[in-house]
Amino acid sequence: MKRKYLITVMRILAPVLAIVLSAFISSIVILAIGKSPWQVFYTIFRFSLSRLDSVAIILYNATPLIFSGLAVSLGFRMGLFNIGVEGQYLIGAFFAALAGFTLKGLPAVIHLPLVILCGALGGMLWSFIPIYLKVKRGVHEVISTIMLNYISYSLIHYLIADVFMDRTQKLLDGLGSMLARTPKLPPSALMPKLHGLLGLFGIELPRHVYLNWFFPLGLLMAGLTYYLLMYTPFGFELRAVGQNQEAARTAGIKPERVYMVGFLLSGAVAGLVGLSDLLSYFGYMDLDFPRNYGFDGIAVALIGQNNPFGIIVSAMLFGFLKRGAEGIQTLLNVPMDTIVILQAVMIMSIVVITKVMNDYIKRLEKKEDVRVCSSQNSSLQV
Amino acid sequence: MKVRKILAVGLIFLLVAALLVGCSKQEQQPQQQQQQGQQAPETEKLKVGLVFDVGGRGDLSFNDSAYAGLERAAEDFADKIEVEYREPSGGGQDREQLLRLLAENGYDLIFGVGFLFTEHIQKVSQEFPDVKFGLIDGFIDGLDENSNVTCLLFKEHEGSFLVGAAAAMKSKTGKIGFVGGMKTPLIERFEVGYMAGAKYVNPNIEILSDYIGTTGEAFKDPVKGKELALKQFKAGADVVYHASGASGVGVIEAAAAEKKLAIGVDSDQSLTAKEDQRPYILTSMLKSVDVSVYETIKSLVEGNFKGGYSVFGLAENGVSYAVNDYNKELISDIQPKLDELKDKIIKGEIKVPVDKKEYQEFEKSLFK
Repeated sequence: MKRKYLITVMRILAPVLAIVLSAFISSIVILAIGKSPWQVFYTIFRFSLSRLDSVAIILYNATPLIFSGLAVSLGFRMGLFNIGVEGQYLIGAFFAALAGFTLKGLPAVIHLPLVILCGALGGMLWSFIPIYLKVKRGVHEVISTIMLNYISYSLIHYLIADVFMDRTQKLLDGLGSMLARTPKLPPSALMPKLHGLLGLFGIELPRHVYLNWFFPLGLLMAGLTYYLLMYTPFGFELRAVGQNQEAARTAGIKPERVYMVGFLLSGAVAGLVGLSDLLSYFGYMDLDFPRNYGFDGIAVALIGQNNPFGIIVSAMLFGFLKRGAEGIQTLLNVPMDTIVILQAVMIMSIVVITKVMNDYIKRLEKKEDVRVCSSQNSSLQV
Repeated sequence: MKVRKILAVGLIFLLVAALLVGCSKQEQQPQQQQQQGQQAPETEKLKVGLVFDVGGRGDLSFNDSAYAGLERAAEDFADKIEVEYREPSGGGQDREQLLRLLAENGYDLIFGVGFLFTEHIQKVSQEFPDVKFGLIDGFIDGLDENSNVTCLLFKEHEGSFLVGAAAAMKSKTGKIGFVGGMKTPLIERFEVGYMAGAKYVNPNIEILSDYIGTTGEAFKDPVKGKELALKQFKAGADVVYHASGASGVGVIEAAAAEKKLAIGVDSDQSLTAKEDQRPYILTSMLKSVDVSVYETIKSLVEGNFKGGYSVFGLAENGVSYAVNDYNKELISDIQPKLDELKDKIIKGEIKVPVDKKEYQEFEKSLFK
């Protein structure tokens, strides 16, 4: 009994401990640059949580990371490390943009779903190469996806800055600089913002917030992923392969088939990562298009422990850190480099503490099981 | 077990203590803010903010030039303005948020350094009609004198033309090089101007051209800058011009190592280079971002800020080539020719191409 109680306490204590540890290390960093740690933390929380636009921006920031975390976790669940989400989402976003600006005159009801579908298709296409190589030729997916990330960077650059660049942008006698970007997407391809829906509940979001329907879509996607993993035969196979490929094979599951389908699914979800930004904030794809969502997704998936709902929470944590960073940067003039260090410290503390605590909890649980078993045994003997 | 329990209890205690300390300080916070609030109206200084481009402060080039203008204004108008600067930690929305937050916090004039700010300033300037914005290198259509945005534009191709001519005249091998940062139309204009200038004085010159990368990182990658410059030197080039922000530090290093010549960009890079590298910097293409920033702040202080477009070319002394104590002797023999070319450009006798298409026509006209 006592142990069970301890386990619950530990579970609750883990995130709290992580925050305390990261606050402690961060304080040293902040003191080192001559600012008051208290003021910095106070500003982070006040700025991020007391303003309506900040809260909405946190959710907006979290949106791509939910998709990205889910895509990475699908890989992890079957024992594959999809580092290639980075490239997959860029290619996906480009496909979506392409479908957006080339098809004109379609009604939004058809155009928008088509654009989203193209995004998923693009991501899937880019994930097909590594998984084909893996299944047919045994090429390790880590190597091939990393390399494909580099290829995607340059390919996207070529497509945006050379082939599809919008050269109709006005300049003053050739002065100034055109943005290296695709033509703008027509309104029928853009994702509506959540302002209308929230307005019904009396929440008036400021105009400069771009929180859009991809956020609820992300939550839905998390739910679907959970359902797929836990309640479908394929989800069972996927988890079985992830835990022990050979055992799964012996049980009659074909790991190759699971890898192929699972990885393509992961790629399709990855293809949606960039769409929230593309179809609401930007409305075009340019060279300044956000990067690193794919890599952040790995951290999001790990912190969320590959659980779709855990991923939602950790994506929001990342969104919160990003917004808080903007706050302390503008209001307290904390340098950008320090902020990067602070974010890394916080993420690392969380990863380390949750890992240590989880191991400890597991050990406790094992002991508890042993105790229960032995007491059952002894009662049987009696 | 016992040790762990004690540890856990200890941690909880620590946590509670931290919370208590936190809460008690929270009460002090509003007082501090009130004090700050009381101080603010007394001084009533104009607040000037500046948000950097990729590469950030310390690139010894583009961003530092903007910073120099900001700093000079802060000194000259010390009793009238206070200045702040920010570096975006990410792309896209982060940039826009920084602009917006500065505007919200009562800044009167905000600069966006670099054309990547074009869309962001366009959006934010509409939300804050009372705040003035300065956009360097970007063009927003449809502005006039009453707009709250002023676009500061430079004729980089004219300045690049002169250093291109200088490179061609100084080259003994008949090969010169160009190292660009991120491959964008803006950097291509540097390249085109440079090539045109070189071809103008020596139609047979061969120009090697490389770009560092395809992302903003290309402006802060001195290692790759050095690699590319070394490659060009090995291929026979003996003068290399760079337009790559902080990556150019590597180009200058390569020139010093190979005992060949480098041409700096945006700021006078002879002044910021290391002592032993200075003899290897032929000149720098000066883009007076500092002047444009300074003049814009000055107009605000004097109450005659105008929206619209300010163009800085050779005629306006907005671009030029650097002459300083370190390159005086090196460059003195070609200076008369350079000044002659400068005159011709200002008078309109030479029309410097602005893009690849115009360059091809320009090249054809040379061979006629």
